[in-house]
Amino acid sequence: MKAEMTKGRAPSAIGRVRLQARAWREVVQRHQLLLLVICLAIVPILLPFTSLAILILVFGLFAAAFNVLYGYAGILSLGHAALFGTGAYTCGILIVRFGLTWPLAVVCGAVAAGLLGVAFAFLSLRVRGVYFAMITLALGQCVFFAAFQASSWTGGDNGLRDVVVPPFGVGGFTVNMVDPLVRYYVILLFVTLALWFLFRVLSSPFGLTLEMIRENETRARSCGIDVVGAKRLAFVISGVISGMAGALYAIHLSTVPLETLSLNTSGQVVMMVLLGGMGTFSGPFVGAAVFLIAEHVSDIVAYWQTIVGLLFISAVLFFPKGIWGSLLALGERR
Amino acid sequence: MMQAPLLAARSLTKSFDGFVANREISLDLNKGELVSIIGPNGAGKSTLFNMLSGCLSPDSGSLMFKGIDLIGVPTHRFVRCGIAKSFQITSVFPALSVLENVCAAVQAVDRPFDIWTRRSCLRQHVEKATGILADVGLVDKRHARADSISHGEQRSLEIAIALASDPELLLLDEPTAGMSPEETRSVISLVERIRSSRTIALVEHKMKLIMEISDRIIVLHQGEVLAVGTPATIQMDENVKRVYLGTGRGGRQ
Amino acid sequence: MEYTFALLLQQAMTGLALGAIYVLSALGLSLIFGMLNIVSFAHGAFFMVGAYVGAVVLTHTGSFALAVISAFAAGYGVGALSERLLVRRLYGQGINYPLLLTFGLAYVLVDIVRMIFGREGTTVATPAVLRGAIDLGFGTFPIYRVFLIVFTACLLSITWFAIERTNWGLIIRAGSRDSSILRILGIDVSRVWLITFGLGTALAALAGILAAPIRGANPEMGGTVLAEAFVVTVLGGMGSLAGTAMAGCLAGLVVSMTTLFAPEFADLSLYMLMAGVLLFSPNGLFARVRTA
Repeated sequence: MKAEMTKGRAPSAIGRVRLQARAWREVVQRHQLLLLVICLAIVPILLPFTSLAILILVFGLFAAAFNVLYGYAGILSLGHAALFGTGAYTCGILIVRFGLTWPLAVVCGAVAAGLLGVAFAFLSLRVRGVYFAMITLALGQCVFFAAFQASSWTGGDNGLRDVVVPPFGVGGFTVNMVDPLVRYYVILLFVTLALWFLFRVLSSPFGLTLEMIRENETRARSCGIDVVGAKRLAFVISGVISGMAGALYAIHLSTVPLETLSLNTSGQVVMMVLLGGMGTFSGPFVGAAVFLIAEHVSDIVAYWQTIVGLLFISAVLFFPKGIWGSLLALGERR
Repeated sequence: MMQAPLLAARSLTKSFDGFVANREISLDLNKGELVSIIGPNGAGKSTLFNMLSGCLSPDSGSLMFKGIDLIGVPTHRFVRCGIAKSFQITSVFPALSVLENVCAAVQAVDRPFDIWTRRSCLRQHVEKATGILADVGLVDKRHARADSISHGEQRSLEIAIALASDPELLLLDEPTAGMSPEETRSVISLVERIRSSRTIALVEHKMKLIMEISDRIIVLHQGEVLAVGTPATIQMDENVKRVYLGTGRGGRQ
Repeated sequence: MEYTFALLLQQAMTGLALGAIYVLSALGLSLIFGMLNIVSFAHGAFFMVGAYVGAVVLTHTGSFALAVISAFAAGYGVGALSERLLVRRLYGQGINYPLLLTFGLAYVLVDIVRMIFGREGTTVATPAVLRGAIDLGFGTFPIYRVFLIVFTACLLSITWFAIERTNWGLIIRAGSRDSSILRILGIDVSRVWLITFGLGTALAALAGILAAPIRGANPEMGGTVLAEAFVVTVLGGMGSLAGTAMAGCLAGLVVSMTTLFAPEFADLSLYMLMAGVLLFSPNGLFARVRTA
C-alpha cells in the first residue's frame, strides 16, 4: 500500500485519516460478500418489521442483478421488471398449476427469466444509446400487456393467487413459511447463493470486461472485446438473478400482482441502484433499503413518492455515486 | 529475394458523405521495420490508421495481413490477428486504475468471457501488466485512477494498452502529442527498445524525430500517397518539399 | 360481425385519429432529443399535467380553447422551470443522467398531481362545438376525431415550416448538430435550449388535453403514453418529422385494426409492431439520423 504523500514528508493528520480510510475500504472491498451477508443476517434483529426486511432482501437482489447491467456494463435497461415478473409468474404458475416443489419452481423462474433476457438482448442490442433504453421500455410493456391478456394463466389484473409453500421438514425440524422470520432466513439462503454467484462473476475476468465496456466501449472493442456478445451475456446473467428475485418475491407474498411487471417496478429498481451506488457490490442493497423504508414511512408521512423523487433528483445532480458509492469513495486516491 | 510484406494494402479508399479521405492507397509494411506516415493535416493519416486497425472498414480495396484477408473482419478481431493501435485522442478507461487498464487489455486477448476464475488468482496477467507499465515508466502510478494522472502519463498509458496484446504490428497514432520534450524522449526510447521484436507504423508531426528513427517514410497528401522512401530520399523529394513548403508549414519542431 | 368495407374505412379513420395522438405525443419528445440530446422521461408526466390543467380550466370556464391554451402554457411553464433549475446542470454528461433526472421529475410531478387531484382519474367532456358525428360518405364518424386528425396535420405543417423555413428553425437545426456554432454566432445558447425544452413539454401537455376527451385524465396515464411515444419515435427514427408522422399513422392504424379483428391483442399490437420492425430494420423505418 503506497502512501499518498510526497516523498520524504511525514503524513499530515488528514493524510493519516485518509490512509486509515483507504485501509478500511480495502478490507471492506475484499470481503464484501461476507460482510453483506452478515449485515443481512442481522437485519431482522435490528428492524422489527420482518416483512419489510424480506422486501429489502428481494428487491436488493433484483437491484443487484440490475446493477450488473447498469452499474458494471453501463447499459440502462428500462424494462427490467419484465425479467423480475417473469421469474415471479413462472415460479407461481409452476407451484399453483403444476404442483412443482417450490425450490425447483424458484430455479425454473430464474431460468425462464434468463431465457427472456436472451430474447430481450437479441431484440434490443441491435441499436445503441437512446434507442436501446427506449426499446427495453417498450419490450417491458409488451410483456406487461401479454401477461394482462393471458389472465387464465396469470390472473390478469387480480394477479396470481395462492402461491403457497406448505410446511416442510428439514433434518427433523418443521419449517413453516408462514412465519415471517423463518421466511426471511430461507429467502436469505437463496439470496446468499445468488449473491455468491454474482460475486464470482463480477470478480472474474468477465467482470472487468464489463467495466471496460462501461468506461470506454470503443477502446474495449479495439482491445479485442466482442462488445455485443459481452452485453448479451450480461443480460442473461442479470435476467437469471432478476428472475430468482422475482420468484422469491412470489414465495414471500404468496401472490404475484401484475404490478411486478409494470413500468413502475422497472423505474423503482433503477432508482434503487442509483440511490445506493452503481457499480458497487453492496450499493443496490443500500438503495433498496432506503427506498423501501421511505415507502414504509409513508404510513406516517403521506406522499413519500415526492420525497423519494426529490431524493433521487438530488442523487442524480449531486451524488451520482449513490450513498454507498460515495462512502466508498472517501479516501480514494485521487 | 524479398520476403512477403507483413501487411499489404491495395487501393484502400474511404469517403465520408462525399469527402474522399483516402483515395486508392497502397502500401506495404515489412516485418521488423519502423515506418512513419507523415503529411499535412487533413491528409488522411488517421483514416488510414483506422482502416489498418479495423476501426473503419474501407469502401474498397484489399488488406492482407500475414496472408489473412482483413476486409470484413470485425474490429475486435484485429487485435487477435496481431494488430494493435494507440489512439490519437487519448482513450483509456477513466475510472479504472492504471494497472487495471493494462490488465484489462491483457485479459481481453486471453479470456474476456471467463465468468468464474477469480481475477486475483490470475497472477500472470498482473505480472505481464506490471512489466508493460515498467516499460512505459508508469509503475509508480499503477494504483492511481486513469483519469487522475497527467496528460503525458495518459499518453504513455495509451501505448501500454496497445502493447498489452503483444501485437506483431503496432500502430502509434501521434504518441507524443502534447508531451514535454522529456516525455517525448522517453516514448521514443521505448519505441527504440521494442522495435526489434515488432513492426511499427507511426504517425507523427515531429520531423526531426521521424527522420532519426524511421526505416521508411510514407508521405500522404490529400488522401493519396505522395511519396515513399527512406528518410534521405524523402528529404530530397521535390514533391514533398513543395507540399510542405507550399502549405507554409514545414515539419513542426 | 360483418366486415364491410365501410366498417373497415371507419376503423381506419379511428386509427388515424389514434395516430394523431401518438404523433402529438412523440413530437415534443423528438424535438427535445433532436436539439438537446436528452430523452425526457418526464414526457408522459407532462402529457398528464396538460390533461389535468386543461380539465380544470374546462370545468371552470367551459371553454375548450382556453383549456388548450392553458394546458400548453402550463406545460411550457413547468418545463421551462425544470430546465432552468434541473436539466440544465446535466448537459454534456451523456444520455443516462438526464434520462434519470427526468424520471425522478416524473415521479414528483405524478405525486404532486395526486396530492392536488386525488388518485382517481377524471373524465373530460368533449367540447360542445366538436360533439356529434359527421357523415363521411362511408359512415358517420365522431367530429372530435376528425378535428384531431386535422389539428395534428396542421400542427405538423406549422412545425415543418418553422423548422425548415424560418431562422428559428435554422438555429434549431444547426444547434442540434453542433451547439458551439451557435455560440460563435453570438446566439444565447442557453435561452435556445430553455425555449426548446419548454416547447417540447408544452407539446406534450397539448397532446394531453387534446387526447383527454377520449382518454380522460388520471395520474398514472403518463407511463403508457411515454411508452407509446417511445415506440413511435423508435419506429419513425429520431429527428425525422416525416418519420414520426408516418410512424404515428402506421401505429394508429395497426392498433385500431387489431381492435377490430382481435381485440384481446389491441394493447399488445403496438409493441409487437415495434418488435417486428426492429427485427428487420434496427434503426426504425425512416431513420435519418445515425444511432448512438
